[in-house]
Amino acid sequence: MRDAWEQVYGLLVEDGQIAIGTLAAFVAAAAVAALGSELQNDMLRNSAGLLLFVLLMALLLVNLYSAGRKAYPPTTPATPSAAGSSVPKK
Amino acid sequence: MSATLATFAVAALPAFIASVVEWVEAFTIVLAVGNTRGWRSPLWGVLGALVTLGVIVIAFGTPLIVYQDQVTQTFHILIGILLLLFGMRWLRKAILRFAGIIAEHDEDHIYQREIAELQGQSHNSAERSWDNIGFWLSYKAVLVEGLEVAFIVIALGATGGSALQAAVAGAVAAFVVVVTAGAMLHKPLSFVPENFMKFVVGCMLTTFGIFWGAEGMLVEWPGGDAMLPVILVGVVLTSLVGVRILAAMSQRRVTESVAP
Repeated sequence: MRDAWEQVYGLLVEDGQIAIGTLAAFVAAAAVAALGSELQNDMLRNSAGLLLFVLLMALLLVNLYSAGRKAYPPTTPATPSAAGSSVPKK
Repeated sequence: MSATLATFAVAALPAFIASVVEWVEAFTIVLAVGNTRGWRSPLWGVLGALVTLGVIVIAFGTPLIVYQDQVTQTFHILIGILLLLFGMRWLRKAILRFAGIIAEHDEDHIYQREIAELQGQSHNSAERSWDNIGFWLSYKAVLVEGLEVAFIVIALGATGGSALQAAVAGAVAAFVVVVTAGAMLHKPLSFVPENFMKFVVGCMLTTFGIFWGAEGMLVEWPGGDAMLPVILVGVVLTSLVGVRILAAMSQRRVTESVAP
């Protein structure tokens, strides 16, 4: 049962940034839609769909970029002093 | 697009593709258990897990059919969020696998690993004796992988109409295809392009999540359902940009490590 529960949890939340970001994008889009309804502005309300799409795609790209940075961290160029000495820089 | 074709495209097809991926993973474990410990108990384990999954789908799916005419706005939003959490997760994982950051799912390797683990355990190899370990290993494998199938079927089926039946049919068809292919070949189905299929399903679930989630917010999409393929194209293109970004980062790393 514990494995089953972990699987159910893992189904929805594997990467915290994606899960929380998805919920945040949803809340932001819902807020815009609610504001549009409140102001009786159909254009503003309907723009919530596009906003949701843009936020989620941006979230995906940012998440992939940060995963790429972790997998391929930028290497700092070795300087002669750093390469030839074991004394840490101050 | 006719209603039947739309239901197929929106419910049955993604349910079928997603289910093939999950059933192939479960099949590998069951095959390893059956080949090392005999088939009687593992097959009962598979049956037990399928019954459990059926109960889950009926328990959560029946209210969707009974109350589908009274589907509330909140319900639409919940289904949208559920599909997005699934879809974004599958999409991210598939892209990271394409880029080589996460290892690809290798059914042959998993099969060999399971065989090695199971051979290390003592077992009365008499075919007719009941084997608790064989039963529970198979039960767990099918239940754990099938839970994902059940969630996707319920989420896709929640769109109303005959969607739930179509999604269930897609999942059952996938089960039949995988079991038939597995029974004929009697080896792990490592030729199935699992990652590509995950990518396709991830794109589809994300698209449906955006579409229905926004409808739950009372958004009226321009062109109505015709926006679904437009959103899908947007999701696919963004994902391909993601793949290119990771490929460029990998290439830059290789260049930096080769440079003097």
